[in-house]
Amino acid sequence: MKMKKKAFLILRNNSLFIKMFLIMVISIVAVSLLITFSSIRMSSNLFMDTFSISNTKALEQIETQFEDYSYAIVGATHEVQNNGTVKRVLTQTNASTLETYRSYHDISQQIERIYRTVESYDANMIVLGNNERLYNVNYSNWPVSWEVLRNHPITEYTVNRPNTLLYQYLPSTSFTDEPMIVATKALMERSTGEIYGVLYFPIREAQLKQFYEGYTSAENEVLLVDATGKIVSSNKQELIGEEATDILAMAKEVDEEQLEFKDAHVFDTDYLLMSQYLPTYNMYLVNLVDKDAVLDNLINTKEILLISLGIVLLAVIVVFIISRRMTNSISRLVKQISTMAKHDFNMPVAETGGYEAKKIANAFNSMLSELQEYVDLVVLAQQKQRSAELMALQHQINPHFIYNTLASIKFMIQQGKKEKATDMIHALISLLQNALSNVEQTITVEQEITDLKNYVLINQSRYGDGIKVNFFISPDCLDCQLPKLILQPFIENAFFHAFNEKKEGFVQILVSQKGDNLLCEIVDTGDGMEMKGDHTKEDIKEKRHLFSGIGIRNVHERIQLLYGEQYGVEITSEIGKGTKVKVELPFQKTDIPANSNKITSI
Amino acid sequence: MKKFYLMLLLVVGMVVLAACSSGDEEASGGSGSEGSSDLDTITAWAWDPAFNIAALEKAKEAYDGDGEYEVNVIENAQDDIIQKLNTGLSSGTTNGMPNIVLIEDYRAQSFLQAYPDAFHPLTDVISSDDFADYKIATTSYDGEQYGLPFDSGVAALYVRTDYLEEAGYTVEDVTNITWQEYIEIGKDVKEATGKNMLTLDPNDLAQVRMMIQTNGSWYVDEDGSTPNLAGNETLEKAFETYKEMMDADIAKIVSDWSQFVGAFNSGDVASVPTGNWITPSVKQAADQSGNWAVVPMPRLDMDGAVNASNLGGSSWYVLNVDGKEQAADFLLNTFGSNPDLYQTLVKDIGALGTYSPAAEGDAYAVEDEFFGGQQLITDLSTWTDEIPGVNYGLHTYAIEDILVTGMQDYLNGAELTTVLENVQGQAEAQLK
Repeated sequence: MKMKKKAFLILRNNSLFIKMFLIMVISIVAVSLLITFSSIRMSSNLFMDTFSISNTKALEQIETQFEDYSYAIVGATHEVQNNGTVKRVLTQTNASTLETYRSYHDISQQIERIYRTVESYDANMIVLGNNERLYNVNYSNWPVSWEVLRNHPITEYTVNRPNTLLYQYLPSTSFTDEPMIVATKALMERSTGEIYGVLYFPIREAQLKQFYEGYTSAENEVLLVDATGKIVSSNKQELIGEEATDILAMAKEVDEEQLEFKDAHVFDTDYLLMSQYLPTYNMYLVNLVDKDAVLDNLINTKEILLISLGIVLLAVIVVFIISRRMTNSISRLVKQISTMAKHDFNMPVAETGGYEAKKIANAFNSMLSELQEYVDLVVLAQQKQRSAELMALQHQINPHFIYNTLASIKFMIQQGKKEKATDMIHALISLLQNALSNVEQTITVEQEITDLKNYVLINQSRYGDGIKVNFFISPDCLDCQLPKLILQPFIENAFFHAFNEKKEGFVQILVSQKGDNLLCEIVDTGDGMEMKGDHTKEDIKEKRHLFSGIGIRNVHERIQLLYGEQYGVEITSEIGKGTKVKVELPFQKTDIPANSNKITSI
Repeated sequence: MKKFYLMLLLVVGMVVLAACSSGDEEASGGSGSEGSSDLDTITAWAWDPAFNIAALEKAKEAYDGDGEYEVNVIENAQDDIIQKLNTGLSSGTTNGMPNIVLIEDYRAQSFLQAYPDAFHPLTDVISSDDFADYKIATTSYDGEQYGLPFDSGVAALYVRTDYLEEAGYTVEDVTNITWQEYIEIGKDVKEATGKNMLTLDPNDLAQVRMMIQTNGSWYVDEDGSTPNLAGNETLEKAFETYKEMMDADIAKIVSDWSQFVGAFNSGDVASVPTGNWITPSVKQAADQSGNWAVVPMPRLDMDGAVNASNLGGSSWYVLNVDGKEQAADFLLNTFGSNPDLYQTLVKDIGALGTYSPAAEGDAYAVEDEFFGGQQLITDLSTWTDEIPGVNYGLHTYAIEDILVTGMQDYLNGAELTTVLENVQGQAEAQLK
């Protein structure tokens, strides 16, 4: 669960990076894939085009070879047909041994001479006569007897087409002989139309192959397909003798429509098929180029893919680093900004990372400091306002107090207590003097005590001396500074609220130095009250202010406004025992009033 | 900072590309000339997979020497071997030449004389006395032994015992006879059975060649190049004998191998005078088993003529190229000194060698039921030792082409001396 949450957190924190990185990676991969494949395609198409052109040229050359051979055969055929000796020997019947002997010699001489035209092609030459005569120039090439050859299908085929030079395929019949292509021509007596013999030019497929073998390779095959669709010769041994009518059909198409080449799928491979018709042979010369194999040689697909893979990897790494840097600074910014509230908006964000992030952080920081300035201004203004308010309150002497006091003095004078009335007027005068006329904020402890004593005197005169007030002032605190009328509200409180049940008691006022602080305590032995909360101002019920506008609630506020939060008022109370108020102030000597004097005197 | 990465990417990319493209530059080079200079492998050329190629393979198996090398046997048509040797040796290059080559005896001298330094002498390698004398004559030149004799071309007369019986003759009657006696028997056989005695090919004077060798004569002089036709009494006698056969009308005329083989396989002829290599062809007609016998070749009716001759046969030669020591070592430890190998050759291939010590082996003594229980191989190897040695010289086939026409003239009534003088003149003009 925690893991999951953590993972989610990481994911959320890095979402910008992940998004950016993914998009970049996908684009890089897509672009490089597209470029790779399109360049492979383009170059292979281009290569195939040029390849087909050069192969067409090669085919033409091969065709020339075939034509040369054909021409040699045609020449030899003509010679044999027009040779009287050959005709005589082949038509001779009932000859004596000596005549036969001579005939064999003569025909041998003639044929050997004619044979030289085709000898260079390693072709054999056989002359067959109907009179059981057979002359085989190269017996080992085709060891055939007269009976076999006379009844051979190719002889029959030839005899049925006496005017044509035919090229026929003779498959291998045993493991000792090889497939052959036999050019055959019937020997016909022109005047009578009688066929007296057959002429054969067998050439082994292996020899015929040499016409084109130089142009072939593993991926570049040449086939010779006869009119029935049989492959009669090929550089691929296993194809010889196969039926390939589909190739024949395509070869015809290429030849008839004058195509450069045609894409063909034969033998389970994709080929480029080029074709050339050999009219004298009535065969098609077919060139098959294995696309894949050729391209494998030309374009090292693996290499190209590896290169692009390498580039992609590199790009991804670089993108990773760069985007990581960019998003990292932004993420950090976001994180800092989101926790800004915890730091009261006054902690500037770190200006690190990329240019953009720095700018943003910078702008944010200046905005923040500006804001801070305004906030400070507002706070200051509010403090000033509050302080002015308090000041105003301080200067507000409750008029009832003055009426009541003056009324008490009037009674004293009526009763003839002249001295007492004079004291009271003195006390009132000095009290009012201090409260109203003295504009200084702070006064010495001595003055404050004097004011308090006057206040106590006035109150005791009015309400009797049931409540006794004692002052215990540490002498070194006398010239200490403290805000005006800061203790008066507590004494007033003690007088008017602490002694509702008990009618008599004491109020002790203690001023002493405690560490760096000035500690003033107002302890009464009155009724006490129920305490709740934090022993501060909230617990003291604000009643009407009998002397000035400042209530005890305001005292605490005022102290804090003036000196800071570590100072203030603390009240402890116990029902039946009394209340104890502690006022803590900084221990300040006269120099501050001097300053205040200066300001006020200006 | 961005620019820096871009540069980095470019540089790394270029390095990767450069590294990839630099891979394919080997492959070319090498592969040029190795051939015979490679001493780990020696090559041997022969032409017949069923015969001499097979014999080489058996020899490889039988090799018992210390040499550590491979023997690479390559099949080439005989004409190709001759052509390649001629072009290679005449241009003086040893590139692509084999270490061991098989050459027909009739042609051997033409190579030995034309390219004396091209062959590695085996005089000190093999013991000439172990081989049939006539073979040594054809395989040596200028006192040095160059060839290691391979198969015997010992000629014999294969006869149909049943036809002879019909005409009242026995095998003994045809053993060690002269050609004249042969013709007489032939006439009787034709009379009795209607069958011709033998086949003759107007374009192949093999009969004449076998005849003249019975008397130790040849188309050329001892020097191997001067035509010895006009005034050659042995040749005259052979021509006369040949004409007698024609006149006696005991010959069936054939023009090629199929007709030649067909004639005796179909029972058209009563005898076959030819080289021993015909044995497998004779045995093809299994129905004739027991009706055949093999007797020594008829001799010319002249003093000194013997009942032994030769037709064909070939020998191994070592070319004077790198690896010749290995090649000589291979031949010595196989065909040159291993009687067991010859037993194998006789049994498995039917090749009869000319190595005399081999004749004592078991395989030679086997009785052949086809020939009525005759110890054919033993007989043949006995006759082999009796063949008169002749120098076949340089021009056997060239002279024979001329002789074929001379024979025509002679058979058609020309005077023999005139014919031979004409032939001599033509041969001298052509072969000079």
